[in-house]
Amino acid sequence: MSVKVEASAGGVPHNTVMIIGALIALVSLYIGIAGNYLLGIDWFAVFGGIAVIGALVWGNSTIKKLCSYGIGTGVPSAGMLAFGAGTAAFIAASAIFCGFAFGIWLVPILTLVLALILGLIFGWIANSVENMKIPVMTRSIAELSAVGAIALAGFALLATGGVDLLSISSAGFIGLDVGSSFLGAGIIAVGFMLGALALQHPFNACLGPGEKQDRTNMLALECGFLSMIVMAVISFVFVSPIAGWISLIVAVLGWIITYAKYVKLSKRDAAAWLDATPFEDKEE
Amino acid sequence: MQEIIIGIGVTALAGALAAVAGAAEDTESNIGSQGDPNSQVQLAPQMGYTHRIYNKAVSGEPPAYTLWVTLACGVAWAFLMMGMNAILAIVLASALATFVQGVYATTAYLGRTASLSKFGQPVFIDVLKSVTSVTMGHAFVAIIATVVICYLIATIIGHPFSLPLLGIVWGLALGAAGSATGNPYYGKERQYQNQKFGAGVPISASGNIVRYAEAGQRSSIDNGFFTSKFGGPASGLCFGLIVFLELWRTILFEDALGGWGAIIAGAVIIVIFLIIDRCVESWARKNYGPYTEA
Repeated sequence: MSVKVEASAGGVPHNTVMIIGALIALVSLYIGIAGNYLLGIDWFAVFGGIAVIGALVWGNSTIKKLCSYGIGTGVPSAGMLAFGAGTAAFIAASAIFCGFAFGIWLVPILTLVLALILGLIFGWIANSVENMKIPVMTRSIAELSAVGAIALAGFALLATGGVDLLSISSAGFIGLDVGSSFLGAGIIAVGFMLGALALQHPFNACLGPGEKQDRTNMLALECGFLSMIVMAVISFVFVSPIAGWISLIVAVLGWIITYAKYVKLSKRDAAAWLDATPFEDKEE
Repeated sequence: MQEIIIGIGVTALAGALAAVAGAAEDTESNIGSQGDPNSQVQLAPQMGYTHRIYNKAVSGEPPAYTLWVTLACGVAWAFLMMGMNAILAIVLASALATFVQGVYATTAYLGRTASLSKFGQPVFIDVLKSVTSVTMGHAFVAIIATVVICYLIATIIGHPFSLPLLGIVWGLALGAAGSATGNPYYGKERQYQNQKFGAGVPISASGNIVRYAEAGQRSSIDNGFFTSKFGGPASGLCFGLIVFLELWRTILFEDALGGWGAIIAGAVIIVIFLIIDRCVESWARKNYGPYTEA
């Protein structure tokens, strides 16, 4: 069995981060759905991006917990696994009640439930069949699958203004065919890679003995806004120009603020902040 | 007949672009220090060796390049759908992907270095400024060449996959080629240039990487200067051959035996390479042998 090494001891407990992240993500998804389906405007697509960020903050905390068991090179793999399971869960959830009037309201909850079930199965296989024997493995893989699925739902909402199968597989704002939809053109693959790297990057980039929770979380926010910029640019194909501009401006502003704060936090934690100064060698 | 001639032309062009992409990718990852050799860069301060080497811990090269190329393909597709000229769409999309790459690179360097504060490793702002721009330049060349390959495959050869899906396939192949071919030259030759040749990496030398230049202290730009002589071209050859042979077998044998022709040709190519690899390996072992005490 692996030995646990505590990463950034203290700080906000994982369960609290998980609840906050999940709440932000689900509430944002529902605001987006309500805006688009009750008011009939797609300006609320921007909340898809906020849902992605909520999911990433949760997932970042889960990865930190999972990787405190010495899974060094496994950090990037965790992001891939999460979005692999998440893709299956999200597409299934968006399709099950497609066509029903109430169907759209069930998509976020169904996405979460299906992803948790899938993740539990994958986690059980990793822990018991492949014999990894890491105590938090089953729960962590289940959480990561849910994070991947919710983040993909967020990307779908951001890009197309909807989360049901009709929105992600049909004509966009400028009138395209099925082959040019979120699913058909493979934009979901862009969401997959954006999310998977953004999920693993914060902890992977900040790991080390001096890792601090606030700095890692700030990087999670920064990665979320950066991914949002890219998806907001692509969203101009599917949503109205106003919705696209709202998403893009929010993403760029959010990214500038979080990036500046992250640099400031890195300066706070660094041993020294030198410009064009050689190091002094301890060996000589 | 004309189709086959155009197909062969596209195959040659794509192969040449792939060679450029592979060489740029490997040089970029060595300048930024990414992939498995970076574990020694991460370890060095913990062993008491402060250095000015970049620490671009984004993930392995294959996932990282899958993201850069996929997002460039996705954005290029979106621009094309909005009616933009293809060349402009590909250039702008590659520029956006390069921006994302640069942001990931700086956050990784700052994060990893700040987390090593216990061992006195400082953040060098001049390294951040000079090295990031050089890795971004190389990344742009690698990304745009690969996106053009994907565009040629999608439009002229008429591949059924959409541009972002081709991006995921070829981005992964590019990162894998650069990582598998180029990294040993950076990790085993460059970082341990100060050790006896052929000594491998003994535990006692862990973290004792090359940190000094002919005059003064090295930054990672010097690593690119070194590896672009051999590791970069070797990676370019590798990725170029992958793209060239893959397209070549499809164009020539696609219609043979109801589609099985291309699959059989692929299997034959794999067997030929297995034999070549085995011959090279046994030749190298015979000539250089295991390391013996002097």
